[in-house]
Amino acid sequence: MTIEEFIFRHSQVSPEKTAIIAGTAEVSYAQLWQRMEEASSYFRGCGLKKGDRVVLSASKSVEFIYTYFGAHLAGMICVPVDPETNAVRLQRIVGCAEPSLIVGELRHGGSHEVKAFSEIHSEERFDTVFPESTDHADILFTTGTTGLPKGVVLSYSNLLAAAENINAFIGNSSDDVELLALPVSHSFGLGRMRCVMVEGATLVLLGSFASMKRFFGEMERCKATGFGMVPASWAYLRKMSGERIGSYAGQLKYIEIGSAFMPLEEKEMLMRLLPDTRICMHYGLTEASRSAFVSFHDEAGHLMTAGRPSPNTEIAVFNEAGERTGYDEDGEICVRGNHVCSGYWGLPEEEFRQDFNGEFFKTGDWGHLDREGYLHLVSRKKEIINVGGKKVSPIEVEEALNTMPGIEESACVGVADAVLGEVVKAFCVCSREVDFEEVKKSLPDKIETYKIPVYYEVIGRLPRTSSGKLQRLSLK
Amino acid sequence: MDNVKEKIIGIIADTLEVGASEINDNSSIGDFPAWDSLGHMNLLQNIQDEFDIELDPEEIIELEDVRDIVKAVEAKLQ
Repeated sequence: MTIEEFIFRHSQVSPEKTAIIAGTAEVSYAQLWQRMEEASSYFRGCGLKKGDRVVLSASKSVEFIYTYFGAHLAGMICVPVDPETNAVRLQRIVGCAEPSLIVGELRHGGSHEVKAFSEIHSEERFDTVFPESTDHADILFTTGTTGLPKGVVLSYSNLLAAAENINAFIGNSSDDVELLALPVSHSFGLGRMRCVMVEGATLVLLGSFASMKRFFGEMERCKATGFGMVPASWAYLRKMSGERIGSYAGQLKYIEIGSAFMPLEEKEMLMRLLPDTRICMHYGLTEASRSAFVSFHDEAGHLMTAGRPSPNTEIAVFNEAGERTGYDEDGEICVRGNHVCSGYWGLPEEEFRQDFNGEFFKTGDWGHLDREGYLHLVSRKKEIINVGGKKVSPIEVEEALNTMPGIEESACVGVADAVLGEVVKAFCVCSREVDFEEVKKSLPDKIETYKIPVYYEVIGRLPRTSSGKLQRLSLK
Repeated sequence: MDNVKEKIIGIIADTLEVGASEINDNSSIGDFPAWDSLGHMNLLQNIQDEFDIELDPEEIIELEDVRDIVKAVEAKLQ
């Protein structure tokens, strides 16, 4: 089965059901299927064939959705990119994926020929051929803060497995109406879109979280039952609308939160405002979407863990020697399941296999499993700071720093040191002038001496991906 | 109150790194690449600092375009 087959089924069983709401436009499942076929016909009419790549500027428009699923129906591989992608990154993506076509609006399209979404339809009729589940569906290019972006290849079965695992955990149904404010050029937003389509529920396209008026307006108008967000979105919602979200406690059935650090008090506030909502936070990465989940109300004693493995997913922790670690012992977090990606575009299979311990995909994250099976995330493996052989998690230092008066948020990295190999350097966003000598004096109450940053730098804002993930390595 | 509007347009231009001539009454969230959620938050913070006023969340929710912002600031200054 593929997600496209699910949409076809919904178009047959409940053709009038609303699939997408975008402003005043409402698209039924029958209309969605028709527009997908028209897009597919366009590609096939152009002579494009199975396995050809199409770069899609992933704007939150109905046309993007028609084109994305239509390209799949034509057997093509979609390469969703952010419409704001800079020229250098775009060039690298195009150089690696070698697309036959680029579609959508790109701010830095440069000399590339870019087709508008409005052109992607044709009345010509072709027989419908659903892709095979092992075929490649998407290539998602990772952020690649330290090197070239990597093209993560996801098959149709990877996409469907992820969607079914997520829906099973959250407990979605076809009655759900989801507000989509996340970017669809990333694994999280794109994944939410697919989850809604598999379930036969309704997706409401919202530009972003930026306008609170629109967010709450659409929430009311469309009677939304859920949405996805990253911790930074919640920080924004809280700052810009106070406790207003609490007024929707009766209608919000679920919220899925993306993996990034979220302070305990923020989680507790959300739980207080939405006592009956299934608030789920995932742990995942582009290569292995949503590998673990924690449900805030049901697992209130484990809020600061990354949760337990998602349905149909196994998590194991391996040490540097490639052996499984015991309970509570740190190592590299590895994941097994049908949702794990199928390869890296343009790289040989052997190189992809190097990222596995047996059948377990190496996430590059460092942490451990406790006796109850909860995953504790310590840091990105590459972000661990090695101070004279002692491993320091930047997250732990940042948590301590963020409690200091005047420090709003911080990011820590390792910098070279002649004696210790590495020492900690902190980049701080401050609300007022901070005396870092005083900070150094206060920190021993919270963290061990070797973890205390030696160097401090004040910066205006921390580098984050558009999904809110802190990009520590870009500060090195 | 025209100087309030002028000042606000100046703050928007500085915060969102756009030319003042590109901004009009209807310019709204999402119209410029930098006018995303982070840009909006910085913008409102700079406006509150510059005019020495405090907008509460119920007022902030309503702010979507330049006209809304000018109206809210003028109401606070009265």
